[in-house]
Amino acid sequence: MKLQLHVWGPAFNLPSIEAQSIPPSPPTGELPALQNGSVWVSRFRNIVDYLRKYSNGEWDLDRDLTDAGQADNTAFSSFIESRGQALIDLSLYVSSQNYNGNTSPAYGALLQWPNQWIFPPKLHSAAKARTEHLGLSSLDLQAMEEERQRKQSAAVATGQIPKNFIQSPRETVSGLLGRTAQQNHFRIDALTGEFFEPLEAMLGKKSYLLAANETDSPASLDCIALGYLSLSHIPDLTQPWLHESMRAKAPLLSAYTERMRLRCFGQAPVEVAHAFEPLSAPPSSLPWRAPGRLSVAAVGSTLLATLADSTPFLRDIRMNNRLKQEAESEDSELNPIERNALSMFADASKKDMYVSIATVVAGTAALVGYMLHAGLISVTTQSEEEEEDEDFEMFNPGQAGDFLGSLGDTGIF
Amino acid sequence: MPPATEAVQPENKTPSFFTVPTPIKALFDKFPLATYPANDIPQRSPFRRQENQLFVFSEPANARHGRPSFNPQCLKWQAYLKFVGVDFEITPSNNHASPTGALPFLLPSLPTNAPEAIPSHKLQKWAIEQVHCEEEQQLNLRFEVYASLLDHRIRNAWLYMLYLDSENFNAVARRLYVIPASTNTLVRTTLGFQLQTAARDELLKSSSYVDAAELEADAASAFQALSALLGEDDHFFARPNPGLFDASVFAYTHLILEEGMGWKRNRLATLLREHTNLVQHRERLLRFF
Repeated sequence: MKLQLHVWGPAFNLPSIEAQSIPPSPPTGELPALQNGSVWVSRFRNIVDYLRKYSNGEWDLDRDLTDAGQADNTAFSSFIESRGQALIDLSLYVSSQNYNGNTSPAYGALLQWPNQWIFPPKLHSAAKARTEHLGLSSLDLQAMEEERQRKQSAAVATGQIPKNFIQSPRETVSGLLGRTAQQNHFRIDALTGEFFEPLEAMLGKKSYLLAANETDSPASLDCIALGYLSLSHIPDLTQPWLHESMRAKAPLLSAYTERMRLRCFGQAPVEVAHAFEPLSAPPSSLPWRAPGRLSVAAVGSTLLATLADSTPFLRDIRMNNRLKQEAESEDSELNPIERNALSMFADASKKDMYVSIATVVAGTAALVGYMLHAGLISVTTQSEEEEEDEDFEMFNPGQAGDFLGSLGDTGIF
Repeated sequence: MPPATEAVQPENKTPSFFTVPTPIKALFDKFPLATYPANDIPQRSPFRRQENQLFVFSEPANARHGRPSFNPQCLKWQAYLKFVGVDFEITPSNNHASPTGALPFLLPSLPTNAPEAIPSHKLQKWAIEQVHCEEEQQLNLRFEVYASLLDHRIRNAWLYMLYLDSENFNAVARRLYVIPASTNTLVRTTLGFQLQTAARDELLKSSSYVDAAELEADAASAFQALSALLGEDDHFFARPNPGLFDASVFAYTHLILEEGMGWKRNRLATLLREHTNLVQHRERLLRFF
């Protein structure tokens, strides 16, 4: 049985639009996923582990690394995954012009109805949630921004920097974090600098990030780097700020990305046609296999699932059930203690949810009671008003969570 | 008819959603009934601040002896200030006391030209101004890279262990964060629920489901990388004195290994004890307290 890698399809002349490279066909609901007969493995590190075990250590890109090399491999992977993901989120999803002009149409070309209307907004909001709190301890934007602003005003005052250089293009990342364009510009500048500079210094003149000499082969870090960097390096976006800053700040890294891309994915740009019609399309260096057409039943179940997932409470119930299923299924790789913990967690959050339902019901009842008492609504128009209020109330538990989440980001955790 | 009377007219209509009901308006019109002079400052607050005050999550008894905080963020800065040699006192506090909504923050001692609170992200800059220590991020390109292991992989495993493992949550997080916050059962229940939800949301940001085994495997590889980075040295990056990176590592390793935390299930400690140099690193730094 051949190994099959299920990925998000091609976009921007790259083989996959996702850095780690979902239509919900794998049981775990995540891509990339590797299928070997009935075994499914998802996420990059799990796939690397699985391939190593599957081949008895033969297919291990990291086998020649020293201890220090292994440590660098882990640390730089974590660095690229965290920082690179944030930048790609900002570039492809949060920058609304790029999202509307490039990302969303690219997904549209990959997905069949109705998924093309359902998945991109989901990914969009996930990306926004991920980049919302860029005040991580190591991404200290506030302090950096103030310092830069001080320097900037000092520089302008002494006439060191021409005025037109300071004015960043207003529309570049408008809407990002609700700040003005200039502030955005400096934040982005700091973020990209922090991300590219260590990688550029690490790469130096070498052919691979961790290579000690000319004959070394790439490590798994190079695969991760290729994934994230090639998505940072897409030139033809509506607002190519990430591409520009990468070229300016890390010329060696840009050349490396280009070189690796040619080596892994071949000379010809990868087009959507390769993935969906492998026979009629021009030859490609990757062994594509088209996904099956969606059946009517699959379309129907996707629609239902989306509808259920976007209904408050119903969504929570479904999430808990999924967790519990995962916990109790025999073939999940959890040991009994973990399984027990996960299933208890699912039960607990179910209880939490009933508490919040009760709160909402009580709150709504109190509000309606007050409105009746104050004579704001009469009994005849009650049903209409009540519905509106209910919607309003239903979102409250989430807002409370957000509030604590923002505290939690910097405070309690 | 002049326009003024037209504008007054609608007020006599049926009450809208936003008008205050008459009895409540009448009640509030009576306020303030009397204005009292401001209270004195409480006895326990220092009359003249001689020392810098660092506000952290801590139990009052431990705070008096300058013992480590039980919150990794707070402990990181507490340890850092100790390592670089800034004198300060610990004040037990909570989020609501902080101007930014997050702990730790520091009130510099008088006399000072800027008597305002310093939030955690400016503490390093402040310490550099005070004692002229180095800005370590600039010295080694691996600083930020390895710090991402702590900020993501180890932090995520920590969040899972402390908040989402229900036995640990009841034994540790409830005791440290929830019970001191209020005596009201309802408030405690809500706060506990909110903490768990916030932790879960944080973990779900980077993946579509919470996989405890994977979080632990990530933490294990992170410990391995940190152990290799430390090697045979006393401090990270072979520095003669401990610094910010040592403080960041210590903040997690100490709390994971500390018996007094009362962990019910502590997989991270098992993983961490495999690396004796990290355990010794923690013991060396604990002598500062």
